[in-house]
Amino acid sequence: MASLSATSLSFKAPSTQSTRISQVLRKASTFQSISFGRFQSSKSLRLQISCAAKPETVQKVSDIVKEQLALSADTALTAESKFSALGADSLDTVEIVMALEEKFNISVEEADAQNITTIQEAADLIEDLVQKKPAA
Amino acid sequence: MAAPFTLRKIGVQPNSANLTEARRRVFDFFRAACRSIPTIMDIYNLQDVVAPSQLRFAISAQIRNNAHVTDPKVIDLLLFKGMEELTDIVDHAKQRHHIIGQYVVGEGLVQNTGSKDQGKSDFLKNFYTSNYF
Repeated sequence: MASLSATSLSFKAPSTQSTRISQVLRKASTFQSISFGRFQSSKSLRLQISCAAKPETVQKVSDIVKEQLALSADTALTAESKFSALGADSLDTVEIVMALEEKFNISVEEADAQNITTIQEAADLIEDLVQKKPAA
Repeated sequence: MAAPFTLRKIGVQPNSANLTEARRRVFDFFRAACRSIPTIMDIYNLQDVVAPSQLRFAISAQIRNNAHVTDPKVIDLLLFKGMEELTDIVDHAKQRHHIIGQYVVGEGLVQNTGSKDQGKSDFLKNFYTSNYF
């Protein structure tokens, strides 16, 4: 802080307004970079959590979804595709959850089952339950 | 399984207040039925006849049959009858040919539309189904 004031004092003679503007601009740019960095780190954090499910789990979930909704074998199913977008009504979603319960030998609570809307969420929940099960 | 699923005998519940609660009860019933499927397959020795996914499909088809109902009381009654049927099946009060006939073959999954109806007129088909057409 002392150095800053010293510099401001030293540059006082020439155009003070320009230095202040440049200081403000510098501050603004640093603020921008900080916020951008934060945005990046939060985004990567989020990506880390969502990538916790193994790809073969996601693949198995996609297979079950395709079989349940009678989709053709070459429909592209991404991890983010919602069940409702694929033509599943709420009963279909419950049936998919039951099929996953049978396939992975887990037991999904009703509260958890309400939040499943995409394939990725289902895979994450399955991974969670599979990990918790041997510990119990 | 984490714990084998047992069907709890809950008595008659009070009527559901609105459609949302009726919906929730439908899904609860469906989940209970699906979780009883391994027991059913064990009791009636259906391992070679049908797959659990086919039984799930049969149950959901029956539910979807009545999907157009909007009155919560009617839904409650349908669920009561469904629960009664499920309890009978799990209690081994039915026999194997009942299950196969009702849920697997015939009016179940595999349509046994024989050759006797082909080529007949629409009049006769309607005549066989009901008096009013």
